[in-house]
Amino acid sequence: MAVVSQQWVQRRPVWLRDTQVFRRRAVTFIQRAFTYIVLIDIAFVFLVPIFYILATSLKTAQDLTDPTIVWIPSGFFWINYPLAFLAMNYPRSLSNSLWISLGSAFGQTVSCAFVGYGFARIRFPGRDLLFALVLFTFLVPPQTIIVPLFILYKNLGWINSYNPFIVPSFFGHGLKGALFVVVFRQFFKTQPWELEEAARIDGASAFATWWRIMLPMSTAAIVVVFLFSVVWHWNDFFEPFIYLNRMEHFTLPMRLSVLSPSLDQVTGGQAGDLFNEALVMAAVFLVILPPLAIYMFTQRFFVESIDRTGLVE
Amino acid sequence: MKMRVTRKEPQLAVAGAGVGDTAATAPVRRRRRMTLSVQRTLEGYFFVSPWVLGFIVFLAWPLFQSFFLSFHELQATSLSDLKFRGIDNYKEAFFIDARFLPRLRDTLQQNLLDVPVIMIFSLFSAILANQKIKGVMGFRAVFFLPLVIGSAQVIQQLFSQGVGGAVLSRGVNVQELAFQYLGPDAASGVEQLLNRLLFVLWKTGVQMLIFLAGLNSVSPVLYEAARVDGATDWDRFWKVTLPLLSPVILVNLVYTIVDSFTDTFNQVLQYIQQTAFAGGFRLGYAASLGWIYFAIVFIILATVVRVTNRYVFYAGERNS
Repeated sequence: MAVVSQQWVQRRPVWLRDTQVFRRRAVTFIQRAFTYIVLIDIAFVFLVPIFYILATSLKTAQDLTDPTIVWIPSGFFWINYPLAFLAMNYPRSLSNSLWISLGSAFGQTVSCAFVGYGFARIRFPGRDLLFALVLFTFLVPPQTIIVPLFILYKNLGWINSYNPFIVPSFFGHGLKGALFVVVFRQFFKTQPWELEEAARIDGASAFATWWRIMLPMSTAAIVVVFLFSVVWHWNDFFEPFIYLNRMEHFTLPMRLSVLSPSLDQVTGGQAGDLFNEALVMAAVFLVILPPLAIYMFTQRFFVESIDRTGLVE
Repeated sequence: MKMRVTRKEPQLAVAGAGVGDTAATAPVRRRRRMTLSVQRTLEGYFFVSPWVLGFIVFLAWPLFQSFFLSFHELQATSLSDLKFRGIDNYKEAFFIDARFLPRLRDTLQQNLLDVPVIMIFSLFSAILANQKIKGVMGFRAVFFLPLVIGSAQVIQQLFSQGVGGAVLSRGVNVQELAFQYLGPDAASGVEQLLNRLLFVLWKTGVQMLIFLAGLNSVSPVLYEAARVDGATDWDRFWKVTLPLLSPVILVNLVYTIVDSFTDTFNQVLQYIQQTAFAGGFRLGYAASLGWIYFAIVFIILATVVRVTNRYVFYAGERNS
C-alpha cells in the first residue's frame, strides 16, 4: 500500500503537486462552471416558451386540464395543426406576411444603403443637420403621426393594400428605417477609402462608385439589415392593424387575435368544442415557424454581424 | 474623420481637374475647382434626397398635421368636418379625461422599472456571451431568439396562459416568501417584477447585440496592460470595460427608452389607438394625446442624454 501511494505521490499530475497551480486551475474551473450555469439559465429563459408552445400544441383537451401533464402530452395529438392552418387561412396570410416583410425589407435595404452612403462618405453643407433629423425620426412614436398618415393613405386609396408598408420603405423610412440608415452609415464609415478613391480618379460617378464598388463590399451589412427588417416587419402589429382591416389582407400574427371567430367560420360553428389553448399554441407555432426557419439558416449572420458590420465604431 | 478629409480633398481636386480636360488654363481650373465642391454637394444631396423626400411626406408633414389636428375636433366618420377647439383637447387630456393620466403614470412607472432591468440584463448576458469559451456561439444563437420570434401577438398569447412568472419561480413560492419577510408592499412589488421579468428579458435582443459589438471593439491591449498592472477581473470590468463601453451604454439607453415607450403593449399608445380608431374615432383628440406623449418622451430622452453624457468617456478616436 505504502509503495503504491509513494509512487502515486511522485507521478501525480502537476496540478496536484503544486498548490499554486492547483489554486489557479480550481479558480478557472469554478469560473467556467459558473459561467456555463448562468449561460444555460439565460438560454433556458429564451427556450422555455418555444418548448411550451410545442408541448401545449400537441395536447388534447383532457391533457390541458390535467395538472400532472406539463411538458409531455399524453399522445401525439397533431390535429390542432391542420385546424389552425385552416382557421388562419394560412396560405393567404402567409403570402400577405411575406409580401409585406420581404417587400419592405428590400426597400429599406436598398434605400438605407444609398442614403447611409451619402451620410457616411460625402461632405456637403447641412449634412450634420440632416443626420440629426434622421435620429429625430427614430424618436417619434408612430402613434403620434398615425392619424395624418391614415388620412393620407386613405386619400391615396392605399388602405387594405401593401403600399403603406412598402412605399415608405423605399425612401428609407417605414419601420425603424432611421436605425438602418444609421447602421449603413456606421458601416460605410469603417470601410477603407482606397478603392473608392481609385474609382473616382478613374472617372466613376458617385452613383457608380456606390453601386459597383461599395455595395458589393457590404454584403455583411446588407444581410444584417435585410434580416432585421424582415423579422421586425413580420412581427409588427400596430401599423398592420390600422392599415389592413379586411381579414383577407391580415398578416399571420394578426390572425391570432381573430382565431376563435375564424375557426367558427371554417368548422361551421363548432369552435366552442375545438377552440382551446392547444389550438392557440399550434397557431402560434405556425406563425413563428417561418422566421424561425429563416433564423436557423441565417443565425450565423446574426451572431457574426457583431464583428462584421462595425456597428459600434 | 477630419484627418481623412483633409487628406482627401487635394487628391480629388487634382482628380477633378484631370478628368477629360486637355486645355486647362489657370482661370478655368479655378472655376472647375468651384464646380467640384458644388458637384460634391450635389452628389451629397443626390444620395440623401430619397430620405429627405420621405421625411417630408411620411414624417414632417404628418407631424405638422397632427399638431394642427390637435387643436381641432375631427371625427373619423366625417373627415371634412373640421372644427377649431383651441387648447381644449389638451385641457381635456389633463383635467377631464379620467383615463389618460393614470395610464400615463403607469407607463412611466413601468418603464422606470423596465429600462434599468433591460440594460443591466443585456450587459450581463453580453459579457457572458463574449467569453472565449467553447459553445459560446450556440448560446449567442439562442440569446437572439427573442429578436426573431418576439412578436407582440405571440408574447401576448404566451403570457395570457401564464408562462410569465411561473417559469422563473418554478417550485418556489417567491410571493409568499416576500410577503413573510418583507411585508405586503414588497410582496406585490416582487409579484409585479416576476411577472414582468420574463416579458422584459424577451426584449433584450438588440441591446445585447449592441453591447456585444461594443465589447468586441474594446482593444485587448488594454486588458493586457491592466493585467500586467495586477488588476483583478472585477477591477478590469469597472476600470476598463465600463468606461470604454460608456458611449455604447448611452446609445443603448436611448434605444431602450425609445423602444419601451413605443412598445405595442404600452397603455397610453393603446389608448391613443382606441381613441382614434376603435370606438372613439376622435382623431383630433387622439392627435393631441399623441403630441403630449411625444413631448414627454422627448423631454425624458433629452434629460437622460444630458445627464448621462456627463459620465460618458470618449476615448480619442472613437469620438468621430
